[in-house]
Amino acid sequence: MGLERRFLAVPTVNDDPPDFDRLFRLWNQVNDDYLEVEFNFSQCRFLRQNAVAFLGGLARLIEYRGGRATFDWNTLQEDIYTNLRQNGFIGCFSAGRGPWSGNSIPYQEFQEKRKDSITSYLKAKWLGRGWVSLSPALRDAIVGKVWEIYENAFEHGSSPLGVFCCGQHYPQLHLLKLCVLDFGVGIPSNVRMFTKKEAVSAAAALRWAFRPGNTTKPNGMGRGLGLDLLREFVKVNQGELEIYSHEGYGQIKEGRERFLDRSTFFEGTVVNITFHCDESYYHLVSEEQTDKLF
Amino acid sequence: MRINVHALIGEDCITLDDGQKVHNLILPELKAGRPVEIDFEGVGVFASPFFNAAFGQLLRDLPGDDLNRLIKVDNLNPVGRSVLKRVIENSKKYYSDPKYRRIVNRVLDEQAANA
Repeated sequence: MGLERRFLAVPTVNDDPPDFDRLFRLWNQVNDDYLEVEFNFSQCRFLRQNAVAFLGGLARLIEYRGGRATFDWNTLQEDIYTNLRQNGFIGCFSAGRGPWSGNSIPYQEFQEKRKDSITSYLKAKWLGRGWVSLSPALRDAIVGKVWEIYENAFEHGSSPLGVFCCGQHYPQLHLLKLCVLDFGVGIPSNVRMFTKKEAVSAAAALRWAFRPGNTTKPNGMGRGLGLDLLREFVKVNQGELEIYSHEGYGQIKEGRERFLDRSTFFEGTVVNITFHCDESYYHLVSEEQTDKLF
Repeated sequence: MRINVHALIGEDCITLDDGQKVHNLILPELKAGRPVEIDFEGVGVFASPFFNAAFGQLLRDLPGDDLNRLIKVDNLNPVGRSVLKRVIENSKKYYSDPKYRRIVNRVLDEQAANA
């Protein structure tokens, strides 16, 4: 059986909601079996970390569905080409074009939840490249909170493709970003199944998932704190967390949070986080060590 | 019993499986009324799944007062301690909320039936 050929133009992608819509439209166009897709970059002026992670995931999704995905590297602008070589994206999809040792945060695919690979990516490749002046205690605190995103993606996304991620450092703004995504069943689907409420909107489902103690995988013990702990950390440190799943969109920014339904649908889950690369934004807890634990 | 968590798990205490390892070691001791000392020296990264499995589910088998008396936690950094306290708070609620547990048990039964 021959593959159906499709040529897709990758647009310019920032990381605002309309940019995610552009990515989700691409997903819609490749969401079939047995496709041969060629991605062209002639209309692309820049790509952020979310676009890199998403495009990598799309290529693996196409392959998983019996198709083939190729990228026309010749259509890339020089600066984007340099970034995609440095972050290892091109090397992942093109033999012999391995990563350069530049300043980019690597594109990474994790098929399985292997804590050592993921924490070493976060510690050494995302936070530990010398551009972020963080104490070891703060570095560990951030890694622990970001781990909750991966935990959630593996545990609840249930995607055979695993999890895709990419980061970016914005030196002028002193910001560090990370996008983690999966092509699994999505949070609203899990919440509707668990609560047996099919009518729950995607936004309401996301809100439910962020509430402490709520989990769709209790495994006989109290769980469901991960997203709440992450939210709390982002709030205290004036970062930003955005989550997209189905039509749902959640944003935690400047201490406020909002959940709403949008018109664009994406079946999986995307989490995009922003942290300040400045120790003064962080307030690590200091608790009385003699308190009773239980 | 004294447990060196770094030697047993490593510097990242973040997964449910690793938490279960600690839980499996300490539960029989605690049930027998013997004290356990858990040393986190050298452990830097903490996340809730580890504590849910290691400590949170102890409340299913033993009352909090006994656990306070028998468990001694050493060298747990402030971030780890704050996550652990949240986990225990959540676990107390979970094991004392019959309505929530009914829903959970229903889902677990369904999952088992579909397996």
